[in-house]
Amino acid sequence: MAASLRTVAILTGLPVLFFAAFFLAPMLVVTIASLTDATGAVTWSNYARILLDRYHWDVLWVTFRIGALTTIVSVLIGYPLAWYLVRIVKWAPWRRACVILIVVPLFTSNIVRSFGWMVLLGRNGLVNDGLLAGGLIDRPVRFLGTELGILIGLVYILLPFVVLSVGNGLAKVDPSLEQASADLGATPAATFWTVTFPLSLPGLMAGSIMVFMLAVSAYVTPALLSGGRITVFSMLIFQQYSSVFDFHYGGALGITMLLLTLVLVAVAGRFGEPKGKGA
Amino acid sequence: MVTLAIRVVSYAALAYLLLPLVVLIGASLTATSFLAFPPQGLTLSWYGRMLGDPTYVAAFATSTMLATAATLLAILLAVPAALAIARFAFPGRDTLSAVLMSPLILPHVVLGAALLQYGTAIGLTRSFAALLVGHVVIIMPFVLRAVLPQLTDEQRSLEEASADLGAGPLATFFLVTLPQIRSGIVSGGIFAFISSWINVELSIFNTTAQLTTIPVKLFNYVQYTIDPTIAAVSSITILVAAVVIVVLDLTVGLDVLSERR
Repeated sequence: MAASLRTVAILTGLPVLFFAAFFLAPMLVVTIASLTDATGAVTWSNYARILLDRYHWDVLWVTFRIGALTTIVSVLIGYPLAWYLVRIVKWAPWRRACVILIVVPLFTSNIVRSFGWMVLLGRNGLVNDGLLAGGLIDRPVRFLGTELGILIGLVYILLPFVVLSVGNGLAKVDPSLEQASADLGATPAATFWTVTFPLSLPGLMAGSIMVFMLAVSAYVTPALLSGGRITVFSMLIFQQYSSVFDFHYGGALGITMLLLTLVLVAVAGRFGEPKGKGA
Repeated sequence: MVTLAIRVVSYAALAYLLLPLVVLIGASLTATSFLAFPPQGLTLSWYGRMLGDPTYVAAFATSTMLATAATLLAILLAVPAALAIARFAFPGRDTLSAVLMSPLILPHVVLGAALLQYGTAIGLTRSFAALLVGHVVIIMPFVLRAVLPQLTDEQRSLEEASADLGAGPLATFFLVTLPQIRSGIVSGGIFAFISSWINVELSIFNTTAQLTTIPVKLFNYVQYTIDPTIAAVSSITILVAAVVIVVLDLTVGLDVLSERR
């Protein structure tokens, strides 16, 4: 045991030191800053300022509403797409092409992808042109600077996570279970809702939680697609650090965001836990 | 009927995924001086303009050096940690693995702010090193996550056999363990590299006008000006992503959705 402890120390020494120095220590510094004022005295005032200001509640509400809508829309599009790739496509090269198509955006910067939507959603962009030509609208719709614009961009950025996570879960569902259900007389819909869907839930939950967390903490996409008209929580943090330089208040905003996401994710995780050991 | 509906949604979703990338690549080829899609006329002159601008070239160089250095460091730190976590029961093992994975769930804006504030205190800001340490922290989990599942128990018996036959720990690692986890290191490393190469939220706190990465430079530009040069720079990053993915697919396989896994 002593020998293996020495091996462990040798193996983990550098990673532990590195993480202590450049991850734990910075997070500790922020936490301490958030609990002190400019003189170094311990205070709750930074948090009180967040809690008592109506503006923050509005920003939080917008941020979490966008996060929730992004998650719901991503699942509504991502689940059928994952199903299509795992269950419907038979021709392997096409599936491979689709997977590559889903992963390429994932490997492309948020900036570039959001920029694509800035071009598409502009007043004279392709989307407005198409809607006008199709007779669906009679004057250009304003997308940039609206929640709808941010939503379109965030769903675009986060959809691949849902598809990959759900697809991975679906691929692990044993088809013989569905066969058995059908043999016992269940309709395809009954088989789906009682057998397949519950078994795909862990993948769905994992993907949804990831999307929700990334959506509420996103900075780049809302910053570019909001045109400065809508403020989300990460923008408040960024402002404090890049232009106001109030690290105490900025730290409190950061820690608040971290705690809120962690709590919501923990709650979602509880609800999403599959009953029994099906997964 | 249901299958048809799923097909329709899927084709629409695939088109949605492709559309912005096609639009940017198309707009980068336009002969007009403003962004136009479909492009009006075809020219590569915007790519020429990008290559003629030393600040773009420098940003590409910084991003690539940063991502390369961060990935190598992340591999050097994550692989031994993965070995310890997979092979030994030691006090604090679960905590260690949770802490090493936690940058995955930490909002990058928060970590970026934390590193800036901490860096200000210890004199490590707005430098390549300041960018590097942050990038290593956020990409290490990718390497760890890819390598851990490959350190299976079957392999452990091979390692024991190797040790019984008189190989030292280092020889066993390089001759037995490393070849078996190589594909995990490659795929985790590629994910890590790309995550570093495209990062904005963390980098933005420590970049300057002289020291900037390509996505941060793009971010600063697109908020004020939009012209075909930006589309050309964006297209290059899309093509890099496509090339990396095809390489990944051909080397370690990307068939993440097949039933065999």
